[in-house]
Amino acid sequence: MFVSRGYRLCSSCSRLASCRAGRGREWRTVMQQSSLKVEHWGSLLPKRLSHCDLGDLYNSNAVQRYLQHLIEDYKVICKKLEHECLSESDRKALMKRQTELLPLGNVFTSIDQARQDLEEVISLLQNSAGSRDEDENLTQLLKEEEVQISNRILALRKDLIRTLVPCDPLDPSDVVLEVVSGRTTGGDICQQFTREMFDMYQGFACYKAWDFEVLNYAPAEYGGLHHAAIRIAGENVYRHLKHEGGTHRVQRIPEVGLSSRMQRIHTGTMTVIILPQPMEFDVHIDPKDLRVDTFRSRGAGGQSVNTTDSAVRVVHLPTGITAESQQTRSQLQNRETAMRMLRARLYQGIMGKETEQRHTARKQQVGTRSQSERIRTYNFSQDRVTDHRTGYSTRDIKEFMRGGEALEELISDLLEHSERDAVLERAENSLSVTRLDMVETHVTPTV
Amino acid sequence: MWTRLLNTSYRCFGVRGSGGPKRIWSLHPRVNCSTLSLPSGRITALQAMDVWAKHFEEKGVIEPEQSSQFIIAHLLGAKTKECLERKRLTEFLSCEKTEQVWRLCTRRLSRMPVQYIIGEWDFRDLTLKLRPPVFIPRPETEELVELVLTDLQRESRAGVGSAAQESCVEVGCGSGAISLSLLKSLPRLKVFALDQSQDAVELTRENASRLGLQDRLQVSRVDVMKDADRVLSLCSSASALVSNPPYLFSEDLQSLEPEIYRFEDHAALDGGEDGLTVIKQILTLAPLILSNHGRVYLEVDPRHPPLIRQWAEENVEELRFVETRRDTSGRFVFINKEKTFHISNIVKEAY
Repeated sequence: MFVSRGYRLCSSCSRLASCRAGRGREWRTVMQQSSLKVEHWGSLLPKRLSHCDLGDLYNSNAVQRYLQHLIEDYKVICKKLEHECLSESDRKALMKRQTELLPLGNVFTSIDQARQDLEEVISLLQNSAGSRDEDENLTQLLKEEEVQISNRILALRKDLIRTLVPCDPLDPSDVVLEVVSGRTTGGDICQQFTREMFDMYQGFACYKAWDFEVLNYAPAEYGGLHHAAIRIAGENVYRHLKHEGGTHRVQRIPEVGLSSRMQRIHTGTMTVIILPQPMEFDVHIDPKDLRVDTFRSRGAGGQSVNTTDSAVRVVHLPTGITAESQQTRSQLQNRETAMRMLRARLYQGIMGKETEQRHTARKQQVGTRSQSERIRTYNFSQDRVTDHRTGYSTRDIKEFMRGGEALEELISDLLEHSERDAVLERAENSLSVTRLDMVETHVTPTV
Repeated sequence: MWTRLLNTSYRCFGVRGSGGPKRIWSLHPRVNCSTLSLPSGRITALQAMDVWAKHFEEKGVIEPEQSSQFIIAHLLGAKTKECLERKRLTEFLSCEKTEQVWRLCTRRLSRMPVQYIIGEWDFRDLTLKLRPPVFIPRPETEELVELVLTDLQRESRAGVGSAAQESCVEVGCGSGAISLSLLKSLPRLKVFALDQSQDAVELTRENASRLGLQDRLQVSRVDVMKDADRVLSLCSSASALVSNPPYLFSEDLQSLEPEIYRFEDHAALDGGEDGLTVIKQILTLAPLILSNHGRVYLEVDPRHPPLIRQWAEENVEELRFVETRRDTSGRFVFINKEKTFHISNIVKEAY
């Protein structure tokens, strides 16, 4: 799978390169002068496959065709809504489609505008080229203007592509993040790594100013960590963390023991589970299906007992899924925490099936929990982190695991990557569908 | 790593023991076997938790692990062990901290409840100051509050009594747990809290001002058993009367754990021969305190509901029984009563 995706990327990159070469000539020499400025979005491409910009998709044939269709669609709908008498239901359907396409239409109009401006500037430039001595200043200004407009067009194109990215309704959700140590021989290394990963996400939550609430923490010997569950709340948490779910691999020389003396590299794993935290109404749980275990259920209660044991375990009887909490000194608060975890786990169960279907349909495996392959390797002896889904590599593992900018960079790269894939996939797949759609919308009102 | 740390600490002790001028850490061979002597070297929070849990267990202190964990977590500035970072737990405690740990944990040996030792505990979303002999709120009561809150919130949404400010009376407020939870969650509610104990009244006031809820709370020292007139003059037309009254049967008091029997105010526990003494008084006063649609919410013993129902039907005409609810773990019972004039749709009898 990786190979095929890599291939596709390569081909789209080369396509890009050739397109740009052509365009460069069209924009004449000014473009080359300003290449320094524009460089960051394109010319460095091949070095890291993953660094493809979303805006570059604009040059893909499929995307171009898809865009063309959408825009035609938009224009047709606008015209129809203005002129034709429609039945109430048809009008409603068209209005809905119009609102969906509105952002796209807007960006497209701005691009058109910018393109006209550019043409004007270019023609002015050509005219002023004749009268050499008079206005060098003006020429300079015009050239600057040209560069500016070109840049604006590029930015707008990026926006245009961005409107095509299918939005994930879960993106703004909070998450429950679990880190689970792997079970390989010499488990120490896994547990140690799991704790480091925990620290990394704590650092990242701090960096992003998210709330980080530990729901469960099961330490292991020698400062390691078996398992921990954390609730992270804040802005677009799921969007940023959804691609963290999966198996992370560590390669390092252990700090103690025989292998340390022999300088032998060990490999261990840990798994990150990301559960989007749905709103209460998303998952309906019948109270009858729950069993709540507390200290009290083991004996008498009320005034005749004073206990400090506030731990609560909630069991969802039909599925056998459990969640427990002993994070606070209030039993009720612990019960609420446990319920939140249970809800998220149940939700994950429901969503798991859905996402699986959706993802096989889109052949997009990035970031699902079901992915059994490792998604990222932390190679301590080479001081390098590599994400296997994108090929993104970065040095300075220590800085990376602080959970700051370096992690954010990798995550945005992943996001862009998966959005890219989603757009391409959508463009390729839905071309035929869009056509059908259009036929339908065309036909019904006119007949 | 642990063992390594231990070894180092022993070595440290060895050096200090031989040459150090201040021998704070030297062993005190105390004869009194019930107290645990201070450790010979520096120890970590985790080790201290372990040592004390074992010691508590040996001495027959109930909930040994929880006790040592809560006390030590509290001294480290956290509510639970789970809230503490791994690093804090494995760091060496300072001499001062170790002494504090030993002082507080030693108190637990006398069976003083952890809540009194650390001087606070959580009730729902509040952290309350607690001190002997004021009754320590129990988890069941958190559910009673939930029940009252749901009802009051529904009513205020339905617009009943929205013109006037709603008020609520609590009999036997103790540390103020019920009243303060209600005030915290219902920003328009006014509460009259009564208790016969001066300690309780003071503690409720203190907790209220710590939580910034004192403006809508009136706390009075009244004995509902003796001074009914004063109760009536203090509060009237309340929409709810809530109470966790003393409901234990007098004969059961003897068999209580020492934590309760020795330290908590018996007046907050002992409900008389049948556990109903205070409950009956509350029900007698209820019609006079409540407005027409007012309700009584009581936490009672599981054996009580049929008795209370029968007694109320025979003795207090204006009240009509609404429902009994069990707590989540199925052990406890809340009763809901209502003045007769109001016909309710939620008559459920969960016996």
